[in-house]
Amino acid sequence: MITGTAWLTIRARRRRVLALLAFAGLFLAAGATARLLAADAEGHIDAGRLFAAGGTPGLSALVLTGWLIGRFPLIATLVLTAGIVSDDRAHGFARIYAVRPTPPLRLYGARFLTLAALAFAVSAVLLPTFDLLLLGTWAGPATLVLILANVLVFGGLTALLSIWTRGDAWITLLLALAAIVWDNLRRAGILDVPPGIRDVIGFLLPPQAALFALEGAFGSAQPIPWDAFVYAVGYAAVMLAIAAWSLGRREI
Amino acid sequence: MRARTNGMIEFEGVTKTYGPARSRPALADVTVAVPRGSVWAVVGPNGAGKTTLFGLLLGFLHPTAGRVRIDGRAPRRYLRARGAAYLPERFRLPDGWTVAAALRALARLEGMGAAAARARADALLERFALGAHAGKPVQALSRGLLQRVGVAQALLAPRELVVLDEPTEGLDPLWRIRFRAVVDELRAEGRTVLLASHDLAEVERTADRVVLLEAGRVRDVLDVSRAPDAAQRYRLALAAPTPAVVEAFPGAAVEPGEDDVVYTVTVADAAELSDRLAALLAAGGIVSAVAPAAEPLEARVRRALSGGAE
Repeated sequence: MITGTAWLTIRARRRRVLALLAFAGLFLAAGATARLLAADAEGHIDAGRLFAAGGTPGLSALVLTGWLIGRFPLIATLVLTAGIVSDDRAHGFARIYAVRPTPPLRLYGARFLTLAALAFAVSAVLLPTFDLLLLGTWAGPATLVLILANVLVFGGLTALLSIWTRGDAWITLLLALAAIVWDNLRRAGILDVPPGIRDVIGFLLPPQAALFALEGAFGSAQPIPWDAFVYAVGYAAVMLAIAAWSLGRREI
Repeated sequence: MRARTNGMIEFEGVTKTYGPARSRPALADVTVAVPRGSVWAVVGPNGAGKTTLFGLLLGFLHPTAGRVRIDGRAPRRYLRARGAAYLPERFRLPDGWTVAAALRALARLEGMGAAAARARADALLERFALGAHAGKPVQALSRGLLQRVGVAQALLAPRELVVLDEPTEGLDPLWRIRFRAVVDELRAEGRTVLLASHDLAEVERTADRVVLLEAGRVRDVLDVSRAPDAAQRYRLALAAPTPAVVEAFPGAAVEPGEDDVVYTVTVADAAELSDRLAALLAAGGIVSAVAPAAEPLEARVRRALSGGAE
C-alpha cells in the first residue's frame, strides 16, 4: 500500500517537484558560476576575486544565495507538503478515502513520510553540492541533521495546520519568519516583553533557537548540538501527535 | 417526521447546522430508518440537504443534535470496521492519476494486496468498458467516463452499505440502463443502497422507497415499489366513446386529448374492477385495453412538496 500511495503522491505533485528541482538548479548554477569566476587554488571562493568580477552586486548575490540556501529545507518542505490534507478535503478526495477501512492516519502518515523523505533527499543533495562548489568541502553529517530537523519541524507544523486550514503552508511560512525575527531579537537582547509572555511565545513559535544552534554548528564546523536536535524533533513529534489526534475528529 | 424502526441506517432526530451563526439548519430533526437489504433514494430540490444527509451518514460531518447509526455503530467506527461503497456527487480524482492506477490505489485502501487490487481493478475496467482508457490521466476523461470510473471505484469491494450521490449524472442512456442492472445486482446480493438523484424516473425504476427532503426536513417517505395508488388506479381504453363508462365506473376521469376513449378509473381491488368491467361490457361498451395506472413519482413528489394541494 505504501509503495503505491507514495508513487501516486509524488505523481500528483509532479509539477511542484519539478519546480523545486528547477529552483535547486538555480543555486547550483549560482554556485558553479561563482566557482568559475572566483575559485582560489584550494577550491574556495575568494571574495576579492568575486568582487573584482562582479562588484558589490556579485558579492551581495552570493551572500543572499548563501542565506537562502540555508532556508532551502524549509522551502522544499513547504512546497511539497502544502495541502497535504487540506487539498483532499477541498477537492472531495478525503471522502473517497474515508469510506475505506484503511485508517486515515496510515494513509496520511505514509504521504507525510514520502514527501518529507523527498524534501530531505532534494535538500541533502543540494546543500552539500553547493558547499562543495563554494568551499571545496562539505560540512559533514551536521548538514543532514540540520536538514532533517527543518523537514520534521516545518513538515509537522504544516501537516497539523493542513488538517484545519487550506492556508497551511502560508501560515507555516509566516510562523517560521516570525520565529526567525523573534529569535534574532531575543539573541540581541532587545525584547521588551515580560519573561512569562516571552516563554509562551517562544514555546508556540517553531523552535528557531534550536534550528539556529544546528545551523551555527553546521556553518562553523562544530560538533552537532544534539540537545537542540532533540528539542526540534520533540517539537515536531508534538505537532504530529496533535495532527494524528485531529485527523480522526475533523469534519471532512 | 418521526417513524422509529430498526434499520441498517438510523437517523434519530438529526439536526445539522453549519457555521457559528447556527441560523437555518441544513438538516432539521431528521428521523429515518433504512432496513437492511433495501434500496432507498433521497430526492429533493437543490439545497434540500441530500449531501449533508450523506455526509452525516458516512461520518464526514458530525450532527449538531441527534444520532446517526449504521448497523448500530457510530458511522466512523462502522466504516473503519466494514467500509462502505461510496460515489460522491461530482466525482473527481487527483490530477495525474491514471484510471487503472487510481482503481488499484483505491483497492489497496480497501485492504487488498497488490495482486488482488490489480485483478479487481482489471475486472472493473472490463465491466465498465474502461479498458481503452486505463492508461489515461483522469483529468483527460469525459464527464460520462469519469462517472463510470466513479461507479467502478465504489464497487471495488463488496460492501454491505452502498451510498451513491447522483450516480447517473453524466451517464449516457445505455449506461443508465446498465446502472439499473448494477443496482438490481446489489439488491439481489442483499446490500443496503442509498442513492440521491434529481432524475425521478431513474429513482422510480431503481428504488424501493424514496425519502423526500425539502429545506432540510423529511417531507415524506414514499413507497415506490408497492405504491398503493398503482394497484387501485387503472387506465381504461375504449374502442368508441360511450356514456356507459361513467355509469359502470362512477368518478371515471377522461384523459385529456384522448377523444373520450381513454379514462382513468379507481376501484378498491381487482374483483371490483372485474365486476364493473362486466357491467360496462353488458351496457355495450367495447374495451380495447385495461392497464394499471401508476401515478408517476414526479406527481407524487409534486403533491408531497405542495403539502397535498395540487
